[in-house]
Amino acid sequence: MGEVIVITSGKGGVGKTTTTANIGIGLSNLGKKVIVIDTDLGLRNLDVVLGLENRIVYNIVDVIEGNCRLKQALIKDKRFPELYLLPSAQTKDKSSVSPEQMKKLVDDIRNDFDFVLLDCPAGIEQGFQNAIAGADRSIVVTTPEVSAIRDADRIIGLLEASGIRRNDLLINRLRIDMVRRGDMMSVDDVTEILAVDLLGVIPDDEQVVIATNQGEPVTGENCLAGKAYTDICRRLTGEEIPIDDFSRPEGILEKISSLFHRN
Amino acid sequence: MSVNSVSVAKERLKNLLVSDRMQCTPEAVDRLEGDLYHTVSKYVEVRREDFDITVTRTDIHIKYMGEKN
Repeated sequence: MGEVIVITSGKGGVGKTTTTANIGIGLSNLGKKVIVIDTDLGLRNLDVVLGLENRIVYNIVDVIEGNCRLKQALIKDKRFPELYLLPSAQTKDKSSVSPEQMKKLVDDIRNDFDFVLLDCPAGIEQGFQNAIAGADRSIVVTTPEVSAIRDADRIIGLLEASGIRRNDLLINRLRIDMVRRGDMMSVDDVTEILAVDLLGVIPDDEQVVIATNQGEPVTGENCLAGKAYTDICRRLTGEEIPIDDFSRPEGILEKISSLFHRN
Repeated sequence: MSVNSVSVAKERLKNLLVSDRMQCTPEAVDRLEGDLYHTVSKYVEVRREDFDITVTRTDIHIKYMGEKN
């Protein structure tokens, strides 16, 4: 039976959708059968990040309302071994689906996949309640900013209150240079304040923007963010991989390799 | 600008989280700390500067002895 993971954050714009796409792709590259589900009704975006926006015929609301079968709505991403997308609806509003319907959908499909990843909308209203209804565990995405960490704390409290006990933190867009000069909270600062397990750290990397522009993954690419996503995926499959918090001084090898990247 | 901004951010964040977690204002948290200090000091010898409460999502921790590091 597959593991159902909701990717959530509270605050918008911290990288939930990018994280869902890249973890989905990374797990698929590790030989896992993965479905990524966009639960943000009315603001469909996961398809765009994955570069699959032109292939949508049916969506999650069509499946729930019985207008089509699940297989008809699923989009297989042909670039990767076993990656499927269930897109959201762009026209429906968040109240057109209930948490019970979401849970039933997830329970119906989890046997067919190794991982079910739910991309949660921002906020703590109905869309959030829908997204977490069928989840076993969560990945809480935050950036090292006061507002994002505050919302992450709130979200973790709500997840715990809903009976989801396993909530792992993903710190996104860490600016290594700013941490070094004391102008951005470090990985230790954030984990100490939130007191949850850390799943991984994604350094701020312009390759993420470039990849997203093109509807391509950054996972598996030879850049800091790409490697960090690959490590996170391997941790999700049970491998013990030490977490790089980017606090050690930059090595000579990385300096040379970044010189090559610039040119 | 000699003070690094991380220490300011952490201080603001800690205060925010305590009020969020307890669903009350920072002033109310201060009053709670004062009342708890008053109560504890009736039974335990404690100095105000050593007394500290920490609020997590599930517990309130009371520290009443200074830790010597």
